[in-house]
Amino acid sequence: MTATSIMDPNPTVVKPTDLIKTAIGYIMDNRYRNLPVVADDGTYLGSFGVSCLLKNVLPKAVLMKHGLTSVPFVQETLADLHNRLHELEHHTVDMCMNTEARTVSPDTPLVETLLILYNNRDSLPVVDPDSGKLVGVISYWDAGEKILSA
Amino acid sequence: MHEAHQASVIFGLDPVWYAGVLFVLTYTLIVAERLNRAIVAVSAASLMVVGGVLTQEAAVQGIDFNTIGLLTGMMVIVGITRKSGVFQFVAIWSTKKVNAEPWGILVMLVLVTAVLSALLDNVTTVLLIAPVTLLITDELKVNAYPYLFAEIFASNIGGTATLIGDPPNIMIGSAVGLNFNDFILNLAPIAVVILLLFLVPLYFFWGRSLETSVERQQKVMNYREADAITDHRLLWQSLFVITIVIAGFIMSHTIGAEPATIALFGAALLLVLDNLPRNIDEQSENVHGSFCEVEWVTIFFFMGLFIVVYGVETVGILEMLAEHVINLTGGDRNVTAMTILWVSAVASAIVDNIPFVATMIPLIESMAADFGGAEQLMPLWWSLALGSCLGGNGSLIGASANLIVAGFAERSGQPIRFLPFMLMAFPLMLVSILISTVYIYWRYF
Repeated sequence: MTATSIMDPNPTVVKPTDLIKTAIGYIMDNRYRNLPVVADDGTYLGSFGVSCLLKNVLPKAVLMKHGLTSVPFVQETLADLHNRLHELEHHTVDMCMNTEARTVSPDTPLVETLLILYNNRDSLPVVDPDSGKLVGVISYWDAGEKILSA
Repeated sequence: MHEAHQASVIFGLDPVWYAGVLFVLTYTLIVAERLNRAIVAVSAASLMVVGGVLTQEAAVQGIDFNTIGLLTGMMVIVGITRKSGVFQFVAIWSTKKVNAEPWGILVMLVLVTAVLSALLDNVTTVLLIAPVTLLITDELKVNAYPYLFAEIFASNIGGTATLIGDPPNIMIGSAVGLNFNDFILNLAPIAVVILLLFLVPLYFFWGRSLETSVERQQKVMNYREADAITDHRLLWQSLFVITIVIAGFIMSHTIGAEPATIALFGAALLLVLDNLPRNIDEQSENVHGSFCEVEWVTIFFFMGLFIVVYGVETVGILEMLAEHVINLTGGDRNVTAMTILWVSAVASAIVDNIPFVATMIPLIESMAADFGGAEQLMPLWWSLALGSCLGGNGSLIGASANLIVAGFAERSGQPIRFLPFMLMAFPLMLVSILISTVYIYWRYF
């Protein structure tokens, strides 16, 4: 058995030119952790998710290399964070896309796929190694559902 | 002065040529930055020994372990202290003291950076201050460039003021037997003057136009600096140890201890205090982390460099160079001092000041006989210190701290470009050297 056994073959996707506001809508409505970003021809480009949103809500100084590792003195309100996020909403998804997200191929063995999912701590795009096209996504829920119903 | 060593170089090569070529190659590779400078220095040092210019015993003798010990000890102390959050506390506290007013913040961060640079090494200082600066400027929605530019200058000027503020001072102090008080009495006054005068162009270039809204100022005023202290026990332990170490530096003559001893004693004491409450497994991990804070690349770079310079000194190259310099300056001590000041400044703006100073020290020592003894060399030493430290302001590559700040600026989306920086910084650096010229002339001639 392989990765295709536990993947969702019709995942919600976004395009790199979609607005972040649109992506946020999908994420919040469906409680996704991340969404695959694909080109018009279905080629997988990267991943956009809650970590990107969190990253942009936090001050830049905490996220950069050699930046601040803790900021207990910062006293911002939810309104402040909302405003920061609001500034982001009209940018496009490619502004904050993770192009180095871990992926698996459709014929990655099942247990290996589960190990990668465990280590990745995030949904796994399933990408065809020859065409580079997205064929599905594996989330914790997909894996759990398939295992429990087997 | 080191005794001449009868070198027997491999393949019967002339030791002067071998050491000289190796020296030039070492410098070239360090400047070119194609290979990590520690690799260059250690490799060249090895070749000095393998090639027969130095014996292993002589090579070890050439390493200034006082400088190495002082650097290592202070790196351990700072590495442990920073975990307490005290540096963020100081930056936030000083920002709030001026009601988060943009120009006021600029002045306060310049002063904080300068004082910290005087007591810690410049690279550590900017690693601590730059992120907080970016946090504040981001919050205030003001341009970070003036603040980062100012902090580069403040770190180099502050580092000039004390024995421990900048590696050139550590090297000079160690070689000449100058203590903490000597640097405070001779360099701190002019460093303070230069720092205060530096605020004038800062105000005219940027200070007048820095502004933000009251709401954004209030956001920064809402920061709770006390919460920046994440480990109160460690804070008090660190402050206690730092106080003892500074007191030790001030009284080093009285207690008969060299700076390395004082710094390493402080490091050992802080390690004990930080680890005593922990179980042995925690201690192992914690101590490992503390020693990882030491910049071993820098330490090995120094060690290799000391050996290389000792090699060229041993074969007499530096003595020859010293004679040339004295001939060029007509054997006039004051002219020689001024030449060293200006040449050091320009050289330090272009190349790494550490190899430059490492070479200049034995060269200047060789001049003692020509100028009537070691005591007559003092203006030259202070000129070397001022030139090599302040010269670092001349360009982005003038000092490691400059590049660190440039890295932060790049990552924050407000890059500091080499040429625009130099167009402003180099003239300002020359002005500081002009002020130093007047000071040296007035004080020592």
